[in-house]
Amino acid sequence: MNADNLLQTIDLCRYYRRGAHEIRALDHVDLNLRRGELLAVVGSSGSGKSTLLNLMAGLDTPTSGRVVIGGRALGEMSRRELSAFRAGRIGMMFQSFNLLPHLSALRNVELALYFTSAAKRERRKMAGEMLERLGLGERLHHLPGELSGGEQQRVAMARALIKKPEIVYADEPTGNLDLDNATQLGKLLADLNSQGLTVVIATHDLTLAQQIGHRRIHLRYGSLIDDPSPLPEEPAS
Amino acid sequence: MTFSDLLALAFGNLLRMKLRTFLTVTGVVIAIAAFVALLSFGAGNQKYVTEQFEELGLFTTTIVYPPDSTSAGAGIDSARVVILDDKAVADLAALPGVDLAYPFDAFDVTAVLGDSQQVTRAQALPAAAAGTKLFAKLRAGTVFSGDSAHEAVVTDQFVRRMGMDTVDSAIGRSIIISTRRSSIDSGLAGVFRDQGGEIRKRLTHIRFDSLAYPAYRRDVVRGELKAAMDRFMNGFMDRQVEIRDTLIIRGVIEGLRGNRIRTESIIIPVATARRFTTGGISANPTELFAAVQRGGLFRDPDSTTREYPQVTLVLDPRAAAKPIGDSIKALGYRTFSFAEEFDQIRKFFLYFDLVLGIIGGIALVTASLGIINTMIMSIVERTREIGVLKALGADDRDIRLLFLVESGVIGAVGSILGILLGWLMTRAASLISQSIMKSTGVDPIEMFDVPFWLIAIAFLFGLSVSIIAGAFPARRASRIDPVVALRNE
Repeated sequence: MNADNLLQTIDLCRYYRRGAHEIRALDHVDLNLRRGELLAVVGSSGSGKSTLLNLMAGLDTPTSGRVVIGGRALGEMSRRELSAFRAGRIGMMFQSFNLLPHLSALRNVELALYFTSAAKRERRKMAGEMLERLGLGERLHHLPGELSGGEQQRVAMARALIKKPEIVYADEPTGNLDLDNATQLGKLLADLNSQGLTVVIATHDLTLAQQIGHRRIHLRYGSLIDDPSPLPEEPAS
Repeated sequence: MTFSDLLALAFGNLLRMKLRTFLTVTGVVIAIAAFVALLSFGAGNQKYVTEQFEELGLFTTTIVYPPDSTSAGAGIDSARVVILDDKAVADLAALPGVDLAYPFDAFDVTAVLGDSQQVTRAQALPAAAAGTKLFAKLRAGTVFSGDSAHEAVVTDQFVRRMGMDTVDSAIGRSIIISTRRSSIDSGLAGVFRDQGGEIRKRLTHIRFDSLAYPAYRRDVVRGELKAAMDRFMNGFMDRQVEIRDTLIIRGVIEGLRGNRIRTESIIIPVATARRFTTGGISANPTELFAAVQRGGLFRDPDSTTREYPQVTLVLDPRAAAKPIGDSIKALGYRTFSFAEEFDQIRKFFLYFDLVLGIIGGIALVTASLGIINTMIMSIVERTREIGVLKALGADDRDIRLLFLVESGVIGAVGSILGILLGWLMTRAASLISQSIMKSTGVDPIEMFDVPFWLIAIAFLFGLSVSIIAGAFPARRASRIDPVVALRNE
């Protein structure tokens, strides 16, 4: 595997069965994610973007194929190793933010560190600093319901970033935001990427993908229809 | 995730659903309160009995009885007559592990105190025995100073019967004790003294050749014998020697020592009492018949050897009661050990507590269904949250622990409040029962006790049942697919 390659998907398939029908959410996807790039996965609703992100995050299990990171397939990992992988190496952002409504912004961000070895005092300090950095220093103790959509997504971003992950997966991060907030968030992701963070953004918004994405791939009915990047190499066995 | 993180999350989640949490916790509170109140009743009664035993020193007290007349000689030399006399008392006292042996030696007396006079029972007691727990707990005064002291200890009931208002007023007062003794001599004197001159004349009137006729035997001989017997009894009963002594009341004890120990109204030092119990047989017909039955009627009236109905042994607290009991039984006596009786009582309380615990446990099992319901509802409502936690890196164990801690918090809070409520219930029940006892003239006793072990058991029981109740929902929560959970609205 090339030293720049951070993650590969090899012949990745995810099929669901709904009654008598088989739904091919992802069908033979080969992808090579390079370290430090901002990859935009573009497609319409139901094209398999979220499925691809879930598989790459180790939240879902492929029907066939592999997701390989650092020379190791996620499918070979135990449930506990997968949890540790999610806890330490990736950050996730969702369209509906998925903040816990009864926890303050500070504690929502801190929550991401509960599954690491960070001490409580350190956790709280880091969460506060991250929110300050994203312009939410005045909103630390506000509940999600007391924040605007843009602010909530920045809290979600802070939660994804606080672990200093290798990759951030953002699933339709601007889907619930107005244009201003969407643009602002796009800039933030681009800034973070320019600082070396690998970002994978799944979006149906082609404009956003064109504005910030280094590389765009298109999914349709679960199949990759346009990937300008070279085909992945086989991982060293 | 640390335990404090789990606790903080659990409290936060439970406080979000205030009403549901309140109702679930209330179920546990009621169940634990019932559990505590029920078991505290068993514990209170057991404590009362234990205290009574300890207060009277019964754990080290064994009573020895002569062999049962129906089983006398069983297992021992049937040629040997086993009685409880002074030698037997000395033999029992010499057994290893026996600190003190004293007989129950009681007799009828007439007591005069001031203007009051009463026929009652007195008991001879060695000064060493008077110092034991059975007698040493006095309501007023002290025990007598020695075996030969002209002193007495009386019961509070006796003091009341003699018309004194307070037990203290009896201390230092003189009491005149008297008893009447008869002997075979006084009976014979009755036969001969009253009609001695006519005996010979009457005997000469008996026609020995007519003895062959049943009518003659019935009408004349039997009549003569009956008249002689009547004169014997008149002599026996009327020509008695009165023995009298004046004693100083030194102390007053409780007459009803837990209804377990026979204590007569007046307790007299053993050497002082000796003159009341020698010199013949008491005028009490019961004693007379007993003497006839055991063949002691014609014993030397001046003999100081007496036969006792029972002997009390005070054992060394470090000695095992059972081997001592076995060696006493080997001598042919029957024994009654309070320690063995207490073992039976303890067994009874064990079963009693078990039944009460099961009743309380049923209430807690019912409450645990509430916990299961609450936790399952919580999972349904928090499915997306579970997905978020898994996306953030929580593994199945973290999710399982989170739900277990939540059910544990319900159990812990419910148990603490339940213990408190149970304790308050026992206090209320105690106040009510004691006031009823007082109003009915019964000495009030504390029937409830909440010892530390009960608090600990109630807490652990409530906590563990709650955690067990949360185990199924927790397992279910941990198995939720994060992708499905995140898609959940």
